[in-house]
Amino acid sequence: MRDFSYVRAASIDAARQAAALPGAKLLAGGTTLIDLAKCGVAQPDSLVDITHLKGLDRIQVDERGATIGALARMGHVADHAGIKSQFPAVSEALWQAASAQIRNMATIGGNLMQRTRCPYFRDPANFPACNKREPGSGCSAIGGVTRGHAVLGTSEACIAMYPGDLAAALIAFDAMIHLGERRTSVDEFFLAPGATPDREHAIEPGEMITAIEIPSSAAARRSTYLKIRDRQSYEFAAASAAVGIEFEADGRTIRDLRVALGGVATRPWRARAVEDALKGKVLEPEAVRAASLLAVEGAVDHGANRYKIELAPRVVARAILKLGETP
Amino acid sequence: MTKTTIPVHLDINGHRHDLALEPRVTLLDALRDRLGLTGTKKGCDHGQCGACTVHVDGERVLACLTLAAQVEGRAVTTIEGLAREGETHPVQAAFLEHDAFQCGYCTPGQIMSAVACIREGHAGSDDEIREYMAGNLCRCGAYPHIVAAVRQAALEAAS
Amino acid sequence: MTVHIKSHGDASDGVLAEAVGGRLSRVDGPAKITGAARYAVEQQLDGLVHAVLVDSTIAAGKVRAIDTARAEAAPGVLKVLTPDTIIGLRTASDWFGTPPPDKPYCPLARDITFSGQHVAAVVAETFEQAVAAAALVEVSYDETPAIVDLSDGKAGDGMPVDAMTKEWGDAPAAFAAAPVRICAAYNTPREYQAPMEPHGLIARWEGDRLTVWEPSQWLDGMARTYAEWFSVPFENVRLVSPYIGGGFGSKALALSHGAVAAYAARMLSRPVKLVLTRPQTFTGYGGRAATRQTVTIGAGLDGVIQSIVHRGVNETSIDGMWVEPLGSVTAIMYATQNFSSRQNVVRVNSVVPGAMRAPGENPSAFGIECAIDELAYEIGIDPLEIRLRNYAEQDPHAKKAWSTRQLREAFATGAERFGWARRTPEPRSMRDGNQLIGWGVAAGTYPVRRAHGEAIVRILADGSVEVESSSIDMGQGTYTILAQTAAETLGVPADTVVVKLGDSRFPRAGVTGGSRLAGVMTGAVYKAATSALDQLVGLAISDPRSPFHALQANTLVVANGRIASPRGDGPDVSIAELLSGIGLDRIEAIGDTMPANATAEDRYKNYTTISMALPHTEGDYSRHSWCAHFIEVRVDEDFGTVRVSRVVSALDSGRLYNPKLAESQWKGGIIMGIGQALLEEGIVDRRHGRIVNDNLADYLVPTNADIPDIEVISVGIPDLHSSVLGGKGVGELAIVGVAPAIANAVFHATGKRIRDLPITLEKLI
Repeated sequence: MRDFSYVRAASIDAARQAAALPGAKLLAGGTTLIDLAKCGVAQPDSLVDITHLKGLDRIQVDERGATIGALARMGHVADHAGIKSQFPAVSEALWQAASAQIRNMATIGGNLMQRTRCPYFRDPANFPACNKREPGSGCSAIGGVTRGHAVLGTSEACIAMYPGDLAAALIAFDAMIHLGERRTSVDEFFLAPGATPDREHAIEPGEMITAIEIPSSAAARRSTYLKIRDRQSYEFAAASAAVGIEFEADGRTIRDLRVALGGVATRPWRARAVEDALKGKVLEPEAVRAASLLAVEGAVDHGANRYKIELAPRVVARAILKLGETP
Repeated sequence: MTKTTIPVHLDINGHRHDLALEPRVTLLDALRDRLGLTGTKKGCDHGQCGACTVHVDGERVLACLTLAAQVEGRAVTTIEGLAREGETHPVQAAFLEHDAFQCGYCTPGQIMSAVACIREGHAGSDDEIREYMAGNLCRCGAYPHIVAAVRQAALEAAS
Repeated sequence: MTVHIKSHGDASDGVLAEAVGGRLSRVDGPAKITGAARYAVEQQLDGLVHAVLVDSTIAAGKVRAIDTARAEAAPGVLKVLTPDTIIGLRTASDWFGTPPPDKPYCPLARDITFSGQHVAAVVAETFEQAVAAAALVEVSYDETPAIVDLSDGKAGDGMPVDAMTKEWGDAPAAFAAAPVRICAAYNTPREYQAPMEPHGLIARWEGDRLTVWEPSQWLDGMARTYAEWFSVPFENVRLVSPYIGGGFGSKALALSHGAVAAYAARMLSRPVKLVLTRPQTFTGYGGRAATRQTVTIGAGLDGVIQSIVHRGVNETSIDGMWVEPLGSVTAIMYATQNFSSRQNVVRVNSVVPGAMRAPGENPSAFGIECAIDELAYEIGIDPLEIRLRNYAEQDPHAKKAWSTRQLREAFATGAERFGWARRTPEPRSMRDGNQLIGWGVAAGTYPVRRAHGEAIVRILADGSVEVESSSIDMGQGTYTILAQTAAETLGVPADTVVVKLGDSRFPRAGVTGGSRLAGVMTGAVYKAATSALDQLVGLAISDPRSPFHALQANTLVVANGRIASPRGDGPDVSIAELLSGIGLDRIEAIGDTMPANATAEDRYKNYTTISMALPHTEGDYSRHSWCAHFIEVRVDEDFGTVRVSRVVSALDSGRLYNPKLAESQWKGGIIMGIGQALLEEGIVDRRHGRIVNDNLADYLVPTNADIPDIEVISVGIPDLHSSVLGGKGVGELAIVGVAPAIANAVFHATGKRIRDLPITLEKLI
């Protein structure tokens, strides 16, 4: 790691000011930032440690929804009784992410700022070309080993997959991100690479995530996160789906449906086409499977990641059908 | 902006250590290289193996992705601090009894992780133990015996 | 002394835990569970400085220039080493002891033959400073096209390895005439040992004496290499390796990073620590070579094999040679009148591949054990039955009797415990909801490799016992079984025995590899302890100061640390009391398994090369360990994910010196085999000739959550043709046959035959 200075922020405002300086970065759990600093990807001049700020780790769940402080740690949120009962997909996305140790370190705010696992992005010494690291330098992944790369939301500049699990659950349930006073939706927060893959989040210098807010809904209460991967645990998704469902009084007709994908796109990916195709319909396996194919509309593969286009709809369908079975 | 060493006061296993460290020194390297506490192992240095698992304020975390400066003011427990008054911790004893290790290199991390796993309430079934111990890789393949050791220690803790 | 050997391999029933064959817990366990066990690079030395390597980012070409200016100016930097700054090292002999070419050796490369080759190194006061400065070294290259892997068009067919050719009968003709014929190609990728402890060392010079603290499977072999590199006498190099955090074949040889560190230590007159980064553990030394095999089998309608034709290829490096013997299992597992196996090696721009758990036998078994499964389905007989119909009653290749072969018992016991008889034969005939269930079987084997070792046994004044040997314990249990051997042989409690290993100052041992160490070292300790006991009893009988002197006995009994007459008359004293009485502070004896007429040169060659290893077919017998794996998989029909849900393995490792520890090793081998079958693959970027998943997040090894409960059953019997105390091999055996058993189970579950490892979900989707 390059040398850097270290300061502990005394307040949120102090943190914002310190982090607005050139070369400064906010340091929370460190599971992304310290890792990438060791890789030579992050080269901060100064780190502003916010983990000692008080009051930013609260988890509140009431009838309107959940508010989770930015410094609440993934493991605590996963185990929170209110989250488990009101937002099962959020809890499941969290406990299936990373390892218990990392979940004890990583904060919710930091999780939203997680960077891609693209091996070319992570290895500047061997792969100098990376538009995400160095705009205009090219993309080493295109034409390379692409088994873990995105099939949705890609551009000619970048095919790096967004690796997070939580954000898929958040985008499915219309969560909002608090940047101090400013509020933004998860949908707006995450940027597709386009021509500027170096810009991943709609956040400005001097801004800091302070909380996320997830509105209550019947679909969120009846939700799940299904994560498929080569290894049973401690691995990023090959494809995953956050799904929530609400039935009409008949218990069969779909009133509300939320579907979002992980592991297949350059950002958390809401699959509204699937939702629209099934809302108002009776839950029926063939219809679910057919509608789930819409989840990968517009997908583009780069060879070795083609399987994701097959896999993702099957994950969506299984998750929807599972929710249909379990009241 | 200073980039030289800073004073860092660490509370490790109930003992205070006053160090002068560059801010970039990780807790793992501070333990192993500065304090001679080599029970905490370096397997990957990137949060991919769990060998460096320690407790900070009673929770399991990875020392390789934690800056030493970050844990000033927090209580750090390493494998060397697990035994109480010379008595091995029940998890340590269970690991020995069930032969839950071979080369021993992942073992301190496994044990620290297991102690926390039980404390968290994530040792309720063999499948739950497997999932919540999955962040500690063991290349010798002691997993079934690790599960047996954690199961036994969890039952002892519950009784 | 007589050796008490139980009739069954798992001698634990009725055996005291601390006797040979007992289930004594690891004696090194307390140190490992408390963090007290100090591994090689954890020594805390005054003045220690840190070295970090800079590696090539191209796979082929030349280093044009190295600009070290920025790195040298960085804080704390003491030295930047480049190929130009390393002068005076000599090329060392290989592990066969072949005299080396008389030319300089430079562990930093100018000519690049693989990505990740070390080209420079930075030494600094702290680890952090060295890491940061290494990133400032600027290397420019003249790149040339690389041969990236076996499938590269430039790779060609490679070179035949005549020593691998095994032929008898007329295999092509018999195949052509056979009523049933199958032919298939099986591929295994690059796989990596990935021990949890990365490779590394601390080197310190005192004058012309070098001490190296380094995890090592072979202290004396590595000491020889360092001595030859630095042109100092062998005796001047001391290797220290008290604990090894996993090796799996990868820590047997001194590697170039060791030369860099030792060179820097001499140059700076300071101890230098150098530890590979996790990515460097994928490029700094070789994993298992990628392999390809074609297996053709001709058989009768009854499933009896009439011919096997086998062709294999493995990759090696541009300037190194690694042969992964792909016909090793093919040639001995089944009886056949006609057989042909040949092998080529192909040079690619990779680090030279190396040994990884059961090199040769492992991929070889993947070929033949899948192929015979395919034959079973082709003919329509049970996969277990076809193995029995082709059971080899003697070694089909060596044409010698097996020393012991409990494979039939392994099949029977494993099948019974697994419930194989309840299997429905049709693929896709067993399911549980979305999960297709498959049951597969495969056999495995590993030869009994034998060599020699020596040990000293010392009975001390307080009655305690010391055992010393330069052999090592990387988790197999050497500390424990040698304590048991000494305790049983001497008649003392095991907790009074202190075993010291991992220091090349101790009596010598050859390589810890090929599952040979336990057999070698229990034999050496048994002989040393017997000799020490004979001295003790002799003195007790003959020394005038001994309380037994007046008895005029022929012999005495030592048990539980006490000496008495076998008739129970006369005195009963502790060993300490006897030694005190006769005025001795110790009795010691060196024992070894070398031939009596061995010369000093023989001993040196035996302990520092592998040239003196005894063939497993020496004399009248062919010596091998055997096993049968029965495995259940669950395959999600939508997702293609394969999970192993049940394993029953029955294994014949001969007599087990400690079943508790042997079972752990067997399970470990099975688990590594599960990883090999389902997860592990080094993936090469074809444009860069570089493995991209060079870390433990992307090169997937099994986690705890991937592994079910595993049942292992010992079916071995003591095999005194294989070792002094009757054991065969343990560590390598159990991985052999796991991958084919899983592939066979996946076929049974899905009807899809996957012949390329690993069996990842996209192959089944």
